[in-house]
Amino acid sequence: MPSDIAAPVIRHDVLGRDHFLLTLECPAIAREARAGQFVMLRAGRGFQPLLRRPMSICRVLPGRRGRIQVLYKIVGEGTRCLSQQPVGATVPTLGPLGNGFRLAPDGTRPILVAGGIGIAIFPFLVEALRAARRATPLLIYGARANRDLVALDFFRARDVPMRLATEDGSRGTKGFVTRILEPLLARKDRGPRMEIFACGPTPMLKAVRERALGAGVPCQLALESQMPCGIGVCLGCVVGCPPDERGPIFRRVCAEGPVFGAEEVVL
Amino acid sequence: MRRRADRAPRGTVPRVRAAAGRPRKRGVDLSVDLGPLRLKNPIVAASGTFGYGTDFLPYLDLRDLGGFVTKGLSLLPRRGNAPPRTCETPSGMLNAIGLANVGVEAFLSEKLPALRDCGTAIIANVFGETQEEYVAVARRLNGAPGLAALELNLSCPNTEKGGLAFGVSPPVVRQVVAAVRRAAPDLPLIVKLTPNITDVAVAGSAAREGGADVLSLVNTFLGMAIDLETRRPVLDNVVGGLSGPAIKPLALYMVHRVYREVGLPVLGMGGISCAEDALEFILAGSAAVQVGTLNFFDPTGSVRLVREIEAWCRSAGVRAVRDLTGTLRLPAGRPPAPCSG
Repeated sequence: MPSDIAAPVIRHDVLGRDHFLLTLECPAIAREARAGQFVMLRAGRGFQPLLRRPMSICRVLPGRRGRIQVLYKIVGEGTRCLSQQPVGATVPTLGPLGNGFRLAPDGTRPILVAGGIGIAIFPFLVEALRAARRATPLLIYGARANRDLVALDFFRARDVPMRLATEDGSRGTKGFVTRILEPLLARKDRGPRMEIFACGPTPMLKAVRERALGAGVPCQLALESQMPCGIGVCLGCVVGCPPDERGPIFRRVCAEGPVFGAEEVVL
Repeated sequence: MRRRADRAPRGTVPRVRAAAGRPRKRGVDLSVDLGPLRLKNPIVAASGTFGYGTDFLPYLDLRDLGGFVTKGLSLLPRRGNAPPRTCETPSGMLNAIGLANVGVEAFLSEKLPALRDCGTAIIANVFGETQEEYVAVARRLNGAPGLAALELNLSCPNTEKGGLAFGVSPPVVRQVVAAVRRAAPDLPLIVKLTPNITDVAVAGSAAREGGADVLSLVNTFLGMAIDLETRRPVLDNVVGGLSGPAIKPLALYMVHRVYREVGLPVLGMGGISCAEDALEFILAGSAAVQVGTLNFFDPTGSVRLVREIEAWCRSAGVRAVRDLTGTLRLPAGRPPAPCSG
């Protein structure tokens, strides 16, 4: 069951340009959180911004204190305001919310595809996969430029193989993550079965979804959306789903998601 | 027979208070009357911000609220508009959900039974694209066990009048309200007014003539947002309804005006996010208030307001919150009419 907690800021680290790692103490949330779930954070005290911001739970830290981490990038007023919260301040934190990832069946190789700040959802998934003794995942991670690739140390420390891509070619493959994913999918019959877990900007998710469906590889997409409430009541965050005879179907990203099967949504 | 939303005697403290170990302090009477509808306190969660009630069970005890209004109900289920449906604006938000809801039958068979004995007034919000639809939904809800009142949403586009909202035409308001009144004679009838009209008091008077018991106001203000980069409207629906603290002064004035001009109990709303906001609406003439957008950014905010109002009354020496309604001190000899300057 989700809780609304005034969570103290324990640490607030800068991770390169515009990226921050926020550590909050909220035991009731840490205890119940699953990989892929999110929290709604209230960034300021007044009405600017007015609404909370949905943030993936990046990690639940080991230990009894019940600390979670949120990795975010400044993209607007809400995240800018959040970035100014000092250690010791309290951040109203509501969660854990939504449905997390379904772990890949045993013997399946998880392929994690991250675009930009979509990387924030994957540390928790990596730890959940390890805890469940699943195969080591492969991380395909793309960003605009080398300086936008963050949290690499986390994955390196856990021996997660990484294939990087940057749009400007400043590191790894030049271009989008699909340039790495496509050849992998073309060779899918030569190795163990794969399952894709993707999080990133909608154009990336759209491309990954098409490739995965085309190759017949199971794929879970963690979606982002404008989310005023996060608890299923405002109906603002919906995503289009395959229509039926009565027309389009919409599902709430916060309540039915944020993780959907690639075949469940139309992007 | 008209129903009472809460049969507890006046001035009693809800059970949950005692259970939570909060000491009972001497007597602020929070109960309020809106015509035939009695509420245990003046805070009501607004339609479209509270689902069908059960979504908030992890966060609050429904018994602590004066009541809540369901998501607007139509005759058939509706799926609503394509996304994006919402957009944050300075101190507010725009929404164009498109009146998505489960439909009146699913509400009666699936939602309402789960809420029975929830200990607060359940108010069903009703809308239609035609007068016949309003009447059909209201008739279906009349006599439903556990329902305390109906609230008519008159901001819905009238498909028979080229999509113009019902609420902008006083003769249409009178007619729809009268038809619903006949279709649901057993339930207190709240009519929710749209602010997108020259004079909200004229629509309020029309609703009174049609047989409304209570007026709730205001619904959202029409607005839009534009993405300069794409040069497109942010909302797929182009236009949406503005809510949140940004609209509070506009709504407060309309409540003041309707209270002075119409002569029906008022359920005021518009950007209320703290006890002081709620009390301002009460001074302006609201018997009770609704909180909407607050439920989105602070899911326990509504019950906090109840406690804060109680504390304010105690410190101000107010024994019953109902005594505050309409006690605004106006400058002597000043008419409450709009000023042009």
